[in-house]
Amino acid sequence: MAERDIKVGIGDMKFTRGTGTVITYALGSCIGITLYDPAIKLGGLLHIMLPTRTDPGDTKVFKYADSGIHEMIRKLSAFGMVKSRTIVKIAGGAKMFDIKGNTDFGNIGQRNAAMVKKILMEEKMRISAEDTGGAYARTMLLNVATGEVLIRTVGKPEKRL
Amino acid sequence: MNKKLKSYDDMNLLELDVMKEISSIGTSHAATSLSKLLQKEVRISIPEVNVLGYDETVSRIGEIEELVTATLVQMSNEVNGLMLFIFKLDLANVVLEKLIGKKYDSFDQMDELAYSALEEIGNIIICSYVNAFTQLVGVEIDLSVPSSTLNMLGGILTVPMAEYGYESDKLMYINAEFIMDGRKLSDGLLMLPDINSLNSILEKLGVL
Repeated sequence: MAERDIKVGIGDMKFTRGTGTVITYALGSCIGITLYDPAIKLGGLLHIMLPTRTDPGDTKVFKYADSGIHEMIRKLSAFGMVKSRTIVKIAGGAKMFDIKGNTDFGNIGQRNAAMVKKILMEEKMRISAEDTGGAYARTMLLNVATGEVLIRTVGKPEKRL
Repeated sequence: MNKKLKSYDDMNLLELDVMKEISSIGTSHAATSLSKLLQKEVRISIPEVNVLGYDETVSRIGEIEELVTATLVQMSNEVNGLMLFIFKLDLANVVLEKLIGKKYDSFDQMDELAYSALEEIGNIIICSYVNAFTQLVGVEIDLSVPSSTLNMLGGILTVPMAEYGYESDKLMYINAEFIMDGRKLSDGLLMLPDINSLNSILEKLGVL
Protein backbone atom coordinates (compact mmCIF):
# COMPACT_ATOMS: atom_id res chain seq x y z
CA MET A 1 0.00 0.00 0.00
CA ALA A 2 2.70 2.43 0.93
CA GLU A 3 4.68 1.91 -2.24
CA ARG A 4 4.31 5.54 -3.16
CA ASP A 5 4.84 7.85 -0.22
CA ILE A 6 5.20 11.46 -1.16
CA LYS A 7 6.88 13.49 1.54
CA VAL A 8 5.85 17.07 2.11
CA GLY A 9 8.50 19.25 3.75
CA ILE A 10 7.99 22.32 5.89
CA GLY A 11 6.45 25.15 3.89
CA ASP A 12 5.65 22.92 0.96
CA MET A 13 2.69 21.31 -0.83
CA LYS A 14 2.43 18.06 -2.77
CA PHE A 15 -0.48 16.36 -4.45
CA THR A 16 -1.18 13.21 -6.37
CA ARG A 17 -3.98 11.34 -8.03
CA GLY A 18 -5.34 7.79 -7.97
CA THR A 19 -2.96 5.98 -5.66
CA GLY A 20 -0.27 6.74 -3.10
CA THR A 21 0.06 8.62 0.13
CA VAL A 22 1.06 12.18 0.85
CA ILE A 23 2.65 12.56 4.25
CA THR A 24 4.12 15.31 6.38
CA TYR A 25 6.08 14.61 9.56
CA ALA A 26 6.07 16.22 12.97
CA LEU A 27 3.77 19.19 12.59
CA GLY A 28 4.45 21.35 15.63
CA SER A 29 3.00 24.82 15.56
CA CYS A 30 2.69 24.36 11.80
CA ILE A 31 -0.55 23.26 10.20
CA GLY A 32 -1.20 20.52 7.70
CA ILE A 33 -4.15 21.02 5.37
CA THR A 34 -5.46 18.24 3.15
CA LEU A 35 -7.78 18.80 0.21
CA TYR A 36 -9.34 15.71 -1.32
CA ASP A 37 -11.71 15.48 -4.24
CA PRO A 38 -13.17 11.94 -4.01
CA ALA A 39 -14.76 12.01 -7.47
CA ILE A 40 -11.41 12.08 -9.22
CA LYS A 41 -9.28 10.79 -6.31
CA LEU A 42 -7.15 13.91 -6.33
CA GLY A 43 -5.56 14.82 -3.03
CA GLY A 44 -2.99 17.28 -1.77
CA LEU A 45 -1.31 18.13 1.49
CA LEU A 46 -0.03 21.58 2.42
CA HIS A 47 2.32 22.25 5.35
CA ILE A 48 2.27 25.91 6.37
CA MET A 49 4.44 27.51 9.01
CA LEU A 50 3.22 31.10 9.44
CA PRO A 51 -0.11 32.91 9.09
CA THR A 52 0.49 35.65 6.53
CA ARG A 53 2.85 36.46 3.74
CA THR A 54 3.95 40.01 4.53
CA ASP A 55 6.37 40.47 1.66
CA PRO A 56 4.60 40.06 -1.69
CA GLY A 57 7.96 39.39 -3.32
CA ASP A 58 8.49 36.30 -1.18
CA THR A 59 8.42 33.32 -3.52
CA LYS A 60 7.92 30.73 -0.79
CA VAL A 61 4.15 30.80 -1.14
CA PHE A 62 3.55 27.51 0.70
CA LYS A 63 5.24 28.76 3.86
CA TYR A 64 2.23 30.95 4.70
CA ALA A 65 -1.41 30.11 5.36
CA ASP A 66 -2.87 32.83 3.16
CA SER A 67 -0.74 32.50 0.04
CA GLY A 68 -0.34 28.74 0.54
CA ILE A 69 -4.03 27.88 0.61
CA HIS A 70 -4.85 30.15 -2.35
CA GLU A 71 -2.05 28.65 -4.41
CA MET A 72 -2.98 25.10 -3.44
CA ILE A 73 -6.59 25.62 -4.48
CA ARG A 74 -5.47 27.21 -7.75
CA LYS A 75 -3.13 24.32 -8.53
CA LEU A 76 -5.52 21.53 -7.64
CA SER A 77 -8.35 23.23 -9.50
CA ALA A 78 -6.15 23.25 -12.58
CA PHE A 79 -5.98 19.48 -12.21
CA GLY A 80 -9.74 19.15 -12.05
CA MET A 81 -10.59 19.62 -8.37
CA VAL A 82 -14.09 20.94 -7.80
CA LYS A 83 -14.34 22.98 -4.60
CA SER A 84 -17.91 22.03 -3.74
CA ARG A 85 -17.13 18.33 -3.46
CA THR A 86 -13.68 18.66 -1.91
CA ILE A 87 -13.11 17.39 1.62
CA VAL A 88 -10.93 19.63 3.79
CA LYS A 89 -9.14 18.45 6.93
CA ILE A 90 -6.59 20.24 9.10
CA ALA A 91 -4.18 19.24 11.86
CA GLY A 92 -1.39 20.80 13.91
CA GLY A 93 -1.13 24.22 15.49
CA ALA A 94 0.22 22.95 18.79
CA LYS A 95 1.80 25.02 21.51
CA MET A 96 5.06 23.20 22.09
CA PHE A 97 6.54 25.31 24.87
CA ASP A 98 4.92 27.30 27.62
CA ILE A 99 7.03 30.10 29.06
CA LYS A 100 5.75 31.28 32.41
CA GLY A 101 5.04 34.97 32.47
CA ASN A 102 5.15 35.25 28.69
CA THR A 103 1.81 34.20 27.33
CA ASP A 104 2.52 35.59 23.88
CA PHE A 105 5.33 33.18 23.23
CA GLY A 106 4.43 30.10 21.25
CA ASN A 107 0.98 31.35 20.27
CA ILE A 108 1.96 30.95 16.66
CA GLY A 109 0.11 27.63 16.45
CA GLN A 110 -3.11 29.25 17.51
CA ARG A 111 -2.62 32.15 15.12
CA ASN A 112 -1.87 29.72 12.31
CA ALA A 113 -5.07 27.79 13.00
CA ALA A 114 -7.15 30.97 13.09
CA MET A 115 -5.73 32.17 9.79
CA VAL A 116 -6.18 28.80 8.07
CA LYS A 117 -9.87 28.79 9.10
CA LYS A 118 -10.36 32.36 7.99
CA ILE A 119 -8.86 31.75 4.55
CA LEU A 120 -10.83 28.54 4.06
CA MET A 121 -14.02 30.35 5.00
CA GLU A 122 -13.26 33.09 2.50
CA GLU A 123 -12.73 30.38 -0.08
CA LYS A 124 -16.10 28.93 0.96
CA MET A 125 -14.60 25.59 1.88
CA ARG A 126 -15.90 23.82 4.95
CA ILE A 127 -13.50 21.99 7.26
CA SER A 128 -14.93 18.51 7.77
CA ALA A 129 -12.51 17.41 10.48
CA GLU A 130 -9.71 18.92 12.50
CA ASP A 131 -7.18 17.98 15.15
CA THR A 132 -5.54 21.18 16.30
CA GLY A 133 -4.08 22.68 19.46
CA GLY A 134 -2.64 20.69 22.34
CA ALA A 135 1.03 20.50 23.14
CA TYR A 136 2.27 17.68 20.94
CA ALA A 137 3.61 17.17 17.43
CA ARG A 138 1.60 15.31 14.82
CA THR A 139 2.39 13.41 11.66
CA MET A 140 -0.38 13.71 9.08
CA LEU A 141 -0.97 11.54 6.06
CA LEU A 142 -3.55 11.34 3.32
CA ASN A 143 -4.22 8.16 1.40
CA VAL A 144 -5.22 9.33 -2.03
CA ALA A 145 -6.83 6.03 -3.05
CA THR A 146 -9.29 6.08 -0.15
CA GLY A 147 -9.30 9.69 1.03
CA GLU A 148 -8.46 8.52 4.50
CA VAL A 149 -6.51 10.97 6.71
CA LEU A 150 -4.47 9.60 9.60
CA ILE A 151 -2.83 11.44 12.48
CA ARG A 152 0.12 9.94 14.31
CA THR A 153 1.25 11.27 17.67
CA VAL A 154 3.65 10.02 20.29
CA GLY A 155 2.17 7.72 22.89
CA LYS A 156 -1.30 7.58 21.37
CA PRO A 157 -2.90 5.23 18.88
CA GLU A 158 -3.11 6.37 15.27
CA LYS A 159 -6.20 8.46 14.83
CA ARG A 160 -8.47 8.60 11.82
CA LEU A 161 -9.55 12.13 11.07
CA MET B 1 29.56 52.17 7.02
CA ASN B 2 29.11 48.60 7.96
CA LYS B 3 27.07 45.95 6.30
CA LYS B 4 24.17 44.49 8.17
CA LEU B 5 23.39 40.83 8.09
CA LYS B 6 19.90 39.98 6.97
CA SER B 7 20.03 36.30 7.76
CA TYR B 8 22.24 33.72 9.49
CA ASP B 9 23.21 32.74 5.96
CA ASP B 10 25.00 36.01 5.39
CA MET B 11 27.72 35.24 7.91
CA ASN B 12 31.08 34.89 6.21
CA LEU B 13 33.83 32.51 7.25
CA LEU B 14 35.43 34.99 9.63
CA GLU B 15 32.15 35.70 11.37
CA LEU B 16 31.34 32.01 11.61
CA ASP B 17 34.78 31.43 13.03
CA VAL B 18 34.18 34.00 15.70
CA MET B 19 30.87 32.37 16.61
CA LYS B 20 32.66 29.06 16.77
CA GLU B 21 35.31 30.48 19.06
CA ILE B 22 32.71 31.88 21.44
CA SER B 23 30.71 28.67 21.29
CA SER B 24 33.76 26.71 22.17
CA ILE B 25 34.18 28.72 25.36
CA GLY B 26 30.44 28.57 26.03
CA THR B 27 30.27 24.81 25.67
CA SER B 28 33.32 24.26 27.84
CA HIS B 29 31.64 26.24 30.58
CA ALA B 30 28.56 24.09 30.08
CA ALA B 31 30.69 20.95 30.30
CA THR B 32 32.29 22.19 33.53
CA SER B 33 28.89 22.76 35.11
CA LEU B 34 27.74 19.35 34.00
CA SER B 35 30.90 17.78 35.35
CA LYS B 36 30.47 19.45 38.76
CA LEU B 37 26.88 18.39 38.95
CA LEU B 38 27.53 14.80 37.99
CA GLN B 39 30.85 14.52 39.83
CA LYS B 40 32.24 13.02 36.72
CA GLU B 41 34.81 13.86 34.09
CA VAL B 42 33.17 15.50 31.11
CA ARG B 43 35.25 16.36 28.10
CA ILE B 44 34.07 18.11 25.00
CA SER B 45 35.12 18.26 21.41
CA ILE B 46 35.61 21.57 19.63
CA PRO B 47 32.11 22.54 18.58
CA GLU B 48 31.05 23.09 15.04
CA VAL B 49 28.74 25.97 14.35
CA ASN B 50 26.45 25.21 11.49
CA VAL B 51 23.88 27.38 9.84
CA LEU B 52 21.43 24.90 8.43
CA GLY B 53 17.94 24.63 7.02
CA TYR B 54 15.22 22.84 8.93
CA ASP B 55 15.58 19.44 7.22
CA GLU B 56 19.34 19.39 7.62
CA THR B 57 19.18 20.36 11.28
CA VAL B 58 16.71 17.55 11.94
CA SER B 59 18.86 14.99 10.18
CA ARG B 60 22.04 16.12 11.96
CA ILE B 61 20.41 15.66 15.35
CA GLY B 62 18.30 12.57 14.70
CA GLU B 63 15.10 11.29 13.14
CA ILE B 64 12.18 13.60 12.47
CA GLU B 65 9.69 11.55 14.51
CA GLU B 66 12.22 10.61 17.19
CA LEU B 67 11.07 11.28 20.72
CA VAL B 68 13.37 13.71 22.52
CA THR B 69 13.12 16.12 25.42
CA ALA B 70 13.99 19.73 24.92
CA THR B 71 14.48 22.69 27.21
CA LEU B 72 13.87 26.13 25.88
CA VAL B 73 14.93 29.44 27.38
CA GLN B 74 14.13 32.83 26.00
CA MET B 75 16.81 35.54 25.90
CA SER B 76 16.01 39.20 26.26
CA ASN B 77 17.68 42.55 27.04
CA GLU B 78 20.68 43.25 24.75
CA VAL B 79 20.33 39.97 22.93
CA ASN B 80 16.90 38.68 22.02
CA GLY B 81 16.35 35.15 20.93
CA LEU B 82 16.03 31.55 21.99
CA MET B 83 18.28 28.89 23.40
CA LEU B 84 17.24 25.31 22.90
CA PHE B 85 18.87 22.23 24.35
CA ILE B 86 17.81 18.84 23.05
CA PHE B 87 18.38 15.64 24.99
CA LYS B 88 18.59 12.44 23.05
CA LEU B 89 18.04 9.26 24.98
CA ASP B 90 21.72 8.23 25.30
CA LEU B 91 22.85 11.51 26.83
CA ALA B 92 19.74 11.66 29.01
CA ASN B 93 20.47 8.19 30.39
CA VAL B 94 24.08 8.95 31.30
CA VAL B 95 22.91 12.01 33.19
CA LEU B 96 19.94 10.34 34.88
CA GLU B 97 21.89 7.28 35.90
CA LYS B 98 24.33 9.44 37.80
CA LEU B 99 21.75 11.84 39.16
CA ILE B 100 18.85 9.63 40.19
CA GLY B 101 20.30 6.18 39.65
CA LYS B 102 17.89 5.10 36.94
CA LYS B 103 18.04 4.31 33.25
CA TYR B 104 15.15 4.22 30.83
CA ASP B 105 14.48 2.33 27.63
CA SER B 106 12.52 5.18 26.20
CA PHE B 107 11.38 8.66 27.05
CA ASP B 108 7.76 7.51 27.50
CA GLN B 109 8.68 5.59 30.61
CA MET B 110 10.17 8.55 32.40
CA ASP B 111 8.43 9.84 35.47
CA GLU B 112 8.06 13.40 36.64
CA LEU B 113 11.30 13.26 38.61
CA ALA B 114 13.43 12.21 35.64
CA TYR B 115 11.73 14.71 33.44
CA SER B 116 12.30 17.64 35.77
CA ALA B 117 15.90 16.55 36.34
CA LEU B 118 16.46 16.79 32.60
CA GLU B 119 14.79 20.17 32.47
CA GLU B 120 17.10 21.40 35.20
CA ILE B 121 20.21 20.04 33.48
CA GLY B 122 19.15 21.58 30.19
CA ASN B 123 18.68 24.86 31.99
CA ILE B 124 22.09 24.64 33.66
CA ILE B 125 23.80 23.90 30.36
CA ILE B 126 22.05 26.81 28.68
CA CYS B 127 22.73 29.22 31.56
CA SER B 128 26.42 28.42 31.79
CA TYR B 129 26.72 28.76 28.04
CA VAL B 130 24.99 32.12 28.06
CA ASN B 131 26.96 33.35 31.08
CA ALA B 132 30.24 32.66 29.34
CA PHE B 133 28.84 34.32 26.26
CA THR B 134 27.79 37.52 28.04
CA GLN B 135 31.16 37.90 29.72
CA LEU B 136 33.03 37.38 26.52
CA VAL B 137 30.95 39.60 24.30
CA GLY B 138 30.17 42.19 26.95
CA VAL B 139 26.40 42.15 26.63
CA GLU B 140 23.64 41.82 29.17
CA ILE B 141 21.30 38.91 28.58
CA ASP B 142 18.28 38.09 30.72
CA LEU B 143 16.98 34.55 30.67
CA SER B 144 13.43 33.38 31.13
CA VAL B 145 12.48 30.43 33.29
CA PRO B 146 13.00 27.21 31.35
CA SER B 147 10.21 25.42 29.58
CA SER B 148 10.42 21.78 28.57
CA THR B 149 8.66 19.40 26.29
CA LEU B 150 8.76 15.74 25.41
CA ASN B 151 7.98 15.57 21.76
CA MET B 152 8.94 14.63 18.23
CA LEU B 153 12.27 16.21 17.26
CA GLY B 154 10.81 17.63 14.07
CA GLY B 155 7.99 19.32 15.93
CA ILE B 156 10.32 20.89 18.46
CA LEU B 157 12.51 22.39 15.76
CA THR B 158 9.52 24.03 14.11
CA VAL B 159 9.26 26.31 17.15
CA PRO B 160 12.35 28.42 16.39
CA MET B 161 11.61 28.09 12.67
CA ALA B 162 8.20 29.67 13.16
CA GLU B 163 9.39 32.19 15.75
CA TYR B 164 11.93 33.65 13.30
CA GLY B 165 10.19 32.52 10.14
CA TYR B 166 9.78 36.07 8.92
CA GLU B 167 13.53 36.68 9.22
CA SER B 168 15.24 33.51 8.21
CA ASP B 169 14.75 29.93 7.13
CA LYS B 170 17.88 28.81 8.93
CA LEU B 171 18.86 27.61 12.36
CA MET B 172 22.21 27.94 14.09
CA TYR B 173 23.19 24.58 15.49
CA ILE B 174 26.14 24.33 17.84
CA ASN B 175 27.28 20.77 17.67
CA ALA B 176 29.73 19.63 20.32
CA GLU B 177 30.31 16.16 21.59
CA PHE B 178 30.34 15.50 25.31
CA ILE B 179 32.68 12.68 26.16
CA MET B 180 31.72 10.81 29.32
CA ASP B 181 32.81 7.33 30.37
CA GLY B 182 34.69 7.08 27.11
CA ARG B 183 31.46 7.50 25.17
CA LYS B 184 30.82 10.26 22.73
CA LEU B 185 27.43 11.80 23.28
CA SER B 186 26.13 14.33 20.90
CA ASP B 187 24.44 17.38 22.29
CA GLY B 188 21.79 19.41 20.58
CA LEU B 189 22.35 23.00 21.48
CA LEU B 190 20.82 25.69 19.37
CA MET B 191 21.51 29.35 19.89
CA LEU B 192 19.11 31.52 18.01
CA PRO B 193 19.58 35.25 18.41
CA ASP B 194 17.29 37.35 16.27
CA ILE B 195 18.99 39.11 13.38
CA ASN B 196 19.36 42.48 15.10
CA SER B 197 21.01 40.78 18.03
CA LEU B 198 23.32 38.76 15.82
CA ASN B 199 24.42 42.00 14.18
CA SER B 200 25.09 43.68 17.49
CA ILE B 201 27.01 40.63 18.78
CA LEU B 202 29.27 40.64 15.76
CA GLU B 203 29.65 44.40 15.95
CA LYS B 204 30.68 44.24 19.60
CA LEU B 205 33.26 41.67 18.68
CA GLY B 206 34.55 43.96 15.98
CA VAL B 207 34.14 41.62 13.06
CA LEU B 208 31.22 43.28 11.35
